[in-house]
Amino acid sequence: MNYQYIEQLLERYWDCQTTLEEEQILRSFFKQEDVPAHLMPYAPFFALETVEKSEKLGEDFDKRILAMTEEGNKTVVAKQVKFSTRLAPFFKAAAVVAVILTIANVAERALQNNSVSNATVGITDTYTKKEDITAKIKIIDHSQSEAMAKTDSLKQAPAINTEDMMLE
Amino acid sequence: MKEVSFKNDVLPLKDKLFRMALHITSNREEAEDIVQDTLMKLWNQRDEWSAIQNIETYIMTICRNLALDAIDKKERQNISLNEMVHDQPDNSQIQDETLIRQQQMNSIQAIIQQLPEKQRTIILLRDIEEKTYQEIANIMGLSLSDVKVNLFRARQTLKNKFNKS
Repeated sequence: MNYQYIEQLLERYWDCQTTLEEEQILRSFFKQEDVPAHLMPYAPFFALETVEKSEKLGEDFDKRILAMTEEGNKTVVAKQVKFSTRLAPFFKAAAVVAVILTIANVAERALQNNSVSNATVGITDTYTKKEDITAKIKIIDHSQSEAMAKTDSLKQAPAINTEDMMLE
Repeated sequence: MKEVSFKNDVLPLKDKLFRMALHITSNREEAEDIVQDTLMKLWNQRDEWSAIQNIETYIMTICRNLALDAIDKKERQNISLNEMVHDQPDNSQIQDETLIRQQQMNSIQAIIQQLPEKQRTIILLRDIEEKTYQEIANIMGLSLSDVKVNLFRARQTLKNKFNKS
């Protein structure tokens, strides 16, 4: 068998003049079992590809990397937050303040009403019958007229003669 | 532009990234950490993926830079080629052809490890990952002629050292 073509390719290989296809031909040739003795020493150069390509990373490496990228994905993906959602805490705070103010206002009014009603409890008795109301009015009128009579009698009393007192 | 899926388009590149990081650092654990950092770095830039023309080229560039940073920080543990050769038993005593091939392969890998990082990465990208010169130039931020020159030097070194050993 004539190996001239292979020998030429080999020479061109060392001079870096072979194409990728020609280098593939050389690799295929040297993978054969029956390589002639004079070309045999070059066989290991072309078996290098097969040996080197057996260097691989395991499947656990893939799992580890995918787990890391998924973790990264979780932290990177940003939620889209609406403007109204962003202001939600302020709305909540404002609502709480409004409720507190309303309660305070109601409580204040209730306290004021209590004190007024206590002060007027004497004259704000309730009467349901007309006769009772008339009787009560009469009592009030009578006490008022008595009071007025007293003041009139005080005005009519004789004045003390200061001159007489001085002569004595 | 096609939408990039991390799970379907990026994660399957992990082995290519691992081999590149391993070639640069010569340490499996460190290479695995670098691939993880590379993938997470790209993940964190996911908002900018639409602006990236070629995600594979881009991620391999990130991986190479991170691996170079790592070896800058830590003095790389070199395996001396001479030690490797000394460790080899006498070939004449070994009848098993598979074992001889395995030892030859170890020698080639040891020679590759001795190459400067630029040449080593170019060999990996061309002979193992089967990238075009232009793709290599893009990944490494080199000119096309720089890629060719470095690949030529790397292959010549491999050929000469392997023949001597």
